[in-house]
Amino acid sequence: MSAAAAARRATFRAGQREILHALPGSAAWGLISGVAMVKGGLSVPWATAMTLSVYGASAQLAALPLIMAGAPLWVIIATGFITNLRFVIYSAAIRPYFAHLSLRRRAALGFFMTDFAFTFFMRAAQENRLPERDRDAWFAGMAANNWFTWQTFACTGIVAAGYIPTDWGLEFTGTLALIALVGPALNARPAIVGAAVASMVALLAHGLPFKLGLFCGALAGIAAATLTDGLRRPPPGAESAA
Amino acid sequence: MSGAVSGIALAVVIAGLALSTFVTRTSFLLAGSRLKLNHHVETALRYAPVCTLAAIIVPDVLMHGPGYDLSPFNPRLVGALGAALWLCFSRNILGCLASGMLAYSLARVLL
Repeated sequence: MSAAAAARRATFRAGQREILHALPGSAAWGLISGVAMVKGGLSVPWATAMTLSVYGASAQLAALPLIMAGAPLWVIIATGFITNLRFVIYSAAIRPYFAHLSLRRRAALGFFMTDFAFTFFMRAAQENRLPERDRDAWFAGMAANNWFTWQTFACTGIVAAGYIPTDWGLEFTGTLALIALVGPALNARPAIVGAAVASMVALLAHGLPFKLGLFCGALAGIAAATLTDGLRRPPPGAESAA
Repeated sequence: MSGAVSGIALAVVIAGLALSTFVTRTSFLLAGSRLKLNHHVETALRYAPVCTLAAIIVPDVLMHGPGYDLSPFNPRLVGALGAALWLCFSRNILGCLASGMLAYSLARVLL
């Protein structure tokens, strides 16, 4: 193995380690998603096919009741699509880091982009902790661990759905894992204002069809955070105190 | 599974969902340099993680079915506060999950 390949491998492993402490959250969330697919009415083979091909718990869980109710195809796909709209924001935000890579490589990285992988990557970027080189390998390391954990537990949930009690409220661990991601990021006024506005709008817009409330909330929050950032910024020439 | 959902229809639905996830996740990544974003927009996007997550979490915690549940006895709210308290002292996710689940379970049993 050449030195460059060895360095790449080491960076991949560093990415794997970076996400290690988030994996219990990913495992619980995967397990619950798998159980929910089967309890929601899908047979084991179909639930497995869906989990492996879609790899998006929120879209799967949003689509499931519609599938079972026999909703029109376009309604189901539209619901999945709008639930996934946040990924458009993610891919726009992460693009500058991967712009130099081949089309195939970018497609592969995109397929494995989840809330976890994205948030960890952007946090490291903000804290200037990204590796100098092979950032795609670092991301891939995180994404690989996250994929493997989530899929393993989702398939376990599908197969063992009958044995896993749903009254423990395990699905709440999914929300808790996201709280653990967002907490450390609330360290400056723009982020706090953005999060507050995003939550308010998402709450108020919760009744919108196709889960549009989430997307509206995210956009409003980003706008509010940026405005706050602009107001806070001192006049040109002065160094930002924050 | 009821007869309402046939094999082929289900296969089409799943393929459609898989496609929609792939398209959204790769959208800007695949557009490459052809789709130029305004510099200000690119800067604004660093707030994307925190805002999106907040928009997922808060309704998850405070909505109960179609209505709001703002009471201090809402177990999810108690659980979220337990997790938040942990995060004041540590970034460790496992600990955050544990303290959140503990607070949530206690609230469900006791309140």
